[in-house]
Order: sequence, then C-alpha cells, then structure tokens
Amino acid sequence: MPVIPSRFLNREVLLVGLILALIVAMSILYPASFPTLGNFSAILRNLAVDGIMACGMMMLLIAGTFDLSVGGVFSMAGVVAGWLMKNAGFPVPVAVLGGLGVSILGGLINGVIVARVRVNALIATLGTMGIYRGIAILLGGPGINFLPRSFSDPGQAVLLGLQAPVWLMILVAALFQYLLSRNRLFRQYYYIGNNPTAALLSGINVPRLQIMAFTIMGFLAGLSGIAFASRIGTSVSIAGDGAELRIITAVILGGASLTGGKGSIWGALLGVGFVALINNALIIASVSAYWQSIITGVVLVAAVSLDRFMQSND
Amino acid sequence: MLRMTGIRKAFPGVQALAGIDFDTQAGEVHALVGENGAGKSTLMHILAGVHRPDAGRIAFNGQEGIEISDEQHARRLGIAIVYQERSLFSLLSVAENIFVNNQPVNRVGGIVRKELYARTTELLDRISVKVHPGTPVGKLSAAQQQMVEIGKALSINARLVIFDEPTAALTRTETNVLFRVIRQLKDSGVGIVYISHRLEEIFEIAGRVTVLKDGQYQGTLSVTDTSPADLVMRMVGRKGLYQHVDRSIPAKLKPVLEVKGVSDGKLRDIHFSVSPGEIVALAGLAGAGRTELALAIFGARPISSGSIAIEGKVVPVVSPRDAIAAGIGYLPEDRKEMGLFLEMNVAENIAAARLSYFGSWWMSRAKLFETARTYIGRLRIATPDASRTVRKLSGGNQQKVLLSRWLLRDQLVLIVDEPTRGIDVGAKAEIYALLRDLADQGKAVIVISSDLPEVLAIADRIVVMRLGRIAGELLRAEATEENIMRLASMRVEETACR
Repeated sequence: MPVIPSRFLNREVLLVGLILALIVAMSILYPASFPTLGNFSAILRNLAVDGIMACGMMMLLIAGTFDLSVGGVFSMAGVVAGWLMKNAGFPVPVAVLGGLGVSILGGLINGVIVARVRVNALIATLGTMGIYRGIAILLGGPGINFLPRSFSDPGQAVLLGLQAPVWLMILVAALFQYLLSRNRLFRQYYYIGNNPTAALLSGINVPRLQIMAFTIMGFLAGLSGIAFASRIGTSVSIAGDGAELRIITAVILGGASLTGGKGSIWGALLGVGFVALINNALIIASVSAYWQSIITGVVLVAAVSLDRFMQSND
Repeated sequence: MLRMTGIRKAFPGVQALAGIDFDTQAGEVHALVGENGAGKSTLMHILAGVHRPDAGRIAFNGQEGIEISDEQHARRLGIAIVYQERSLFSLLSVAENIFVNNQPVNRVGGIVRKELYARTTELLDRISVKVHPGTPVGKLSAAQQQMVEIGKALSINARLVIFDEPTAALTRTETNVLFRVIRQLKDSGVGIVYISHRLEEIFEIAGRVTVLKDGQYQGTLSVTDTSPADLVMRMVGRKGLYQHVDRSIPAKLKPVLEVKGVSDGKLRDIHFSVSPGEIVALAGLAGAGRTELALAIFGARPISSGSIAIEGKVVPVVSPRDAIAAGIGYLPEDRKEMGLFLEMNVAENIAAARLSYFGSWWMSRAKLFETARTYIGRLRIATPDASRTVRKLSGGNQQKVLLSRWLLRDQLVLIVDEPTRGIDVGAKAEIYALLRDLADQGKAVIVISSDLPEVLAIADRIVVMRLGRIAGELLRAEATEENIMRLASMRVEETACR
C-alpha cells in the first residue's frame, strides 16, 4: 500500500506519458538529430543543475513553502568560489568550500527570516533574491573567466558517458528520494505542509525543520551553482537569473502544490526533464526559444487545471 | 408560505433525500433535526438554490411548482440562509458586509457611504443590535457577527430565513439575544427554519419540529407533543445517550496532573488536579478560559506564572513538544484546523505524534499500517482501510483517529476539547464509551464541554470556570445543570464572598 495516495501519482504517470510521447514524436520527425546519444547526453547535462535545485525546491513545497532566492544563491556561490580561487588566491578546495559556506549561510538566513521572524516566504526570499544577486554582481562584475583547470576539469569529467553534474544530480536525487520517503526527520515535512498547526500540536518542531529545509535548499543551490561554474570554467554573475521560476514551474508540474503537503522527488525530476525536453525539441526543430516558455506555461496551467477538475469530481 | 413535497435528491452513491415533505407558515419557527448526514443541509441547500432536487415540488409565497435555479434566484424570492460557518469579510465594515453587492450608489457608481450607513443602522435597529456600521466585522464578537449575518438576510427583505446551527459558537447569554431576534422576526411574519443539534433549544424556540433520518422523513410534531428523548429516539432509534454510567472510580490516587497557580493574560491563578482513572469536566461559558487553560497545560500558550506537575514532578512546559514528552495529549475543538492532516491517510494521522516508533532512518510502512489497523479495530473506526484520506471520514471517525494518535503514545493525561461538537448522536455515544474505557484503563481524562447533559453524563468531577478563574468544583453526585450554570455565571461580588 503506497504511503502517497495514488491520486498524487497520477501527475507523475501523466508526465511520463507526455515525455514518452514527445520522445517518440521527435524521434520520428527528426531521426537524424534527436534520438542520438550525443543529444540525450546534452539534455541531461543541461537539466542537471536544475535537477539538483529541484530536489530542494520539492522538499520546500512539500513543507508548504518555497524559495525565490535560489537563482541568486546559485550565482553567488559560483562567483564567491571563483573570486576566492582567482582573485584571492585560495586553493581550489578552500574556494569551493567557501562558495558552499556562503550558500548555506544564505539559506540559513532565509530560514531564520521565514521561521523565526515569521516573514512570509514570498517576501522574505524575494528580498534575499535581490541581495544575493547583487552580491554576485558586486563581487564578480560580469563574471570571472579562466578558472583554474583543477576546478573546471572535475566539472567536465565524464563517467560512463555522463558528465559529472549529471552524476551529482543522480546522487542528490537518490538521497532525497530516500530522505523524503523513508527518513523520519524528512517525512515530517509532509505533516508540516499539510497542516502546520496540527504539526506543532503533534510535537513536530516546525520552525527548526523549516530553517533546516531553507538551509539545505541554500546548500543545493550553491552546489548546483559551483557545479555549473566548474562545467563551463567561468563564474557568470547572472548565471542563476530566472532559475527560481523555472524550477518552481518544473516542480509544480511534477506534482507539488503551493498549499503544501504533497509531491515526490520522482515528480520533481520528471518536471525538470519535461521542461528540458521541450527546450531541446524546440532547438532541434529550430523553433524560436520563446515558444519554450509558452508551451511550458500552457502545460503547467493545463496540468493544474486537470487536477482541480479531478478533485472537484471526487 | 413554504411547502415542499416529495423532495428527492441523490448524490453519487447515496440517496440524500428520499421523498421529504416540509412546510413552514409565515410567523412560525419550524425546527429541522437529524443526525449529521440525515439530509438537513441538503434540504436547505435546495431551498437556497445550491442544489436542484431530482424530484418533488416546491411552493413558495403562493407560487406553485417553482424551480430555484441558483442562489441569486433564492435571494430574489426572499429566501436567506444564516450559515453555521459565518461567511463574512472580517476586514470589511459591518455595512459593507451586509450590503455586499447591493450597496447604494450615485450616478457614476460611487458608493454613498452616508446612505449605506443609514440603511445599515436601520436594519440593525430592527434586530436591536448596537454596533457602528463602520466597524470592521473582525472586531465583533461571535454573537455580533451572527447578528450581521441576520442583518444580511434582512437586507434582501427575506420572507423565509434558515438558521443552520446558529448557536454553535455562542454563549448562553448570546443565544438569548439571538432568540429574542428570532422571535421578533417571527412576530413580523417571517417564516423561520431552525436547524440545531441542541435539542433543548428547539423546545425553547420552535413551534413544530421535523425529524429526518438517513434522508427519510420521520414525521413532523408539535414541540408540545414530544420530548428530547423522543426526538433522539426518532433520530437514531436508541435511548439513553445522556445516561450517566456509574464507573467504579478508584480510591483517590495521587494526582497524575497538578496545575498549580497558573496565570497568564486570560487565566488567573488556576489550581486543580486530576487523578488516574478520573474523568474531570471543565465546564463554563464560552470565553471562560477553558480552551486557554488546555492550551497552557499543553505548552501551546505561554504562562506568566505557576507550574504544571506530572506524577508529582514539576515539568517545564514551554511547547507542545515538552507537554507531549511529559505524557499529555490534547484533542483540539477545531479538529480540522488544529488536529488533522486532512489530505493524509488514517495511518499517517495516527502516527503523527510518534513517528520515531516506526523507525528513524528507515520508517517501516508495514509497521505503520499494521499499527493503524490495530487502532481501527480497537476504536471501531469506520474506514475501508488505513490508507483512506482522513478528509473522507465522518466527524466521529476523525475524532477516533485523533484519539488513536495519543493512545499510540500511551499518554497519561488526555485533554479533550469539545469532543462531540459537530458529531452526530450515534457517534457521540461511542466517543463517551471510549473516554470511559480510557479512564478505566487508568488515564486521566479532562473533557472540556459546553454541553451540560454531556458533562453530567461523563464526568466524575466537574470543575467550573468563569472569567479565567476556577469558580468551583462539583462531584458528579451533587452536580445539576442548575448548580453548574450558577457557578459558571456567578457575578463577581459573589465570587469574592466565597
């Protein structure tokens, strides 16, 4: 018997169907360019950084909250690491730890503002989004180029045909799949998202868990930002711009709800995968990239409307 | 004035109404009673235009065979509902709430505030309510908000006003004010349908009463020809709900819970204790501070002085976590808002306060469901299986799920706030039996209840609160509704003299 009711799995089944249909259609239409190992590896490479962040965002949405500052943290972590190794002359491992440390701190600040000061998550992370973005640009200008090889090589390393960021995403996703389905501490996020008052009155330490979730989100955004900087060998100061909406869209598409309490890591990955696939399909079909946001938007609204429709017929 | 004949309505899987006859005269209060799910709300929703009947005829105000197409139509006909859950905009003013979409406007569509206020005052005067029309509704008391709802009904010149559980959140004094207003409406020739779980109110306010059971019409009686016991019989086909069951109360044991001089913004120097095996009722009027006291004991409300001891040891309780760890469990009055995880299943709800029991690093689903099935069996929770979403259970079964949550932790003290509010008569009896069972097993049970027959039926001892203080204690043997009420509503000077 599933712990998550089958109703929640429907979204995931729907996405698998859409993804398969898209793959089949593209393979028939563009047999030479779409169904190739190179193309699939490119899709995976591009979705890896979003996939890592989507795991954290799914956790937040399950807990009934979200974080708009992930793009800012993403940029800031990359720039801080780049600045530390290039401009301040620190060894690469120290610089990477510095970047991660800053992103953890950024997440912790979000968590404290939301859970302790009790500022609405939308406003709190909208504010810190601006702050983290600004720090990235102040420190890095347009960006920091030609990062040391010892930093960029691991990001470009390939194992079994998959690049390092893809492996990182797989590890993170597997870990979070375990945590959110079987780990007592993380299972509590479902309770918090479902009814925070009842969670508090059941003895669940709601504020502490919220702070933990935001801190983990900060860490994942930083990890993702550093992996991205490593892969392209450059700290781009605006690399994360727009990531927050892209990821929240993907995660909601994957079955999360803004009211909290539901969702799974599978859903998050399928959501990210679907968005990446549409993007790729449009590039191969040489359609303007603007269609991507139109199609993603239509699918998002349609999927959520379908849920509403099915719920009202319950 | 109103005549409904042979009304039938089916929803997927259930015949909600199977041929109901119901009529109301102008200037009459006609009560409608039945358990939850008996079809009272469905019948009234048909009148309000929310549902359309599958069969049957409605005549209203001399018009035969009318079909009420939607809520606007019902309002145009002059039918208004005062809902149990108030549908007010708490940040908007009284006047704006009463004239939601029919505010007086000038030629360019601007609202004429002077006229709006004047018309509001006029309406409120009719029901003798003294509030300024500009007051935000959120600042009013529950009773005053109820009056605003009635004002809304009057603003459409309603010929028929339906009251759906209007007194659920009102004190006795407020109820008296409401009844005065209802009598005024009645005397002015308005027909009134009165739905309530509180049978004693029906004998006070209504002329006739119609009983529904499982969507079936059980007859219409004059209140002079029936009694509460007779009505309960007709509603559920059983007797003796409020019969006190004599339990062998164990010899006065050392108290398991001692509340010593607890005070906060609302509570003043509260002292009381509960022994294992005892059921203590906290009685009092709404606003006497009973829920606040429960929340304070449970660590959900900070206290400024005093202490709480469990088994003789003072325990620092600053959060529900501390209280739970000390062995206290709390079942809130508002189960949906404060107790249940509505979209989660029965098993997950039962497990909520003791997740570690199922493993920390690898939670066992098998154990989760096995445990849930144990409690489903033991408390006879009516659910097809443990993976049923809690939202889909009835109120009584939801309450049993919450009880299971604390039983799983084996708490020493259970505080149950209004355990049967919104629960139908059949399930009430089961909840009473469960609470008695728990006490027999040595739990200390504290029941907060505004329902005096309920208090007298289950309590071994009754602690009466008034204005944040303990007004007195009564043993079951010496307690009557009258002496509880006297303590609960005693004036300040009398308390000082004691």
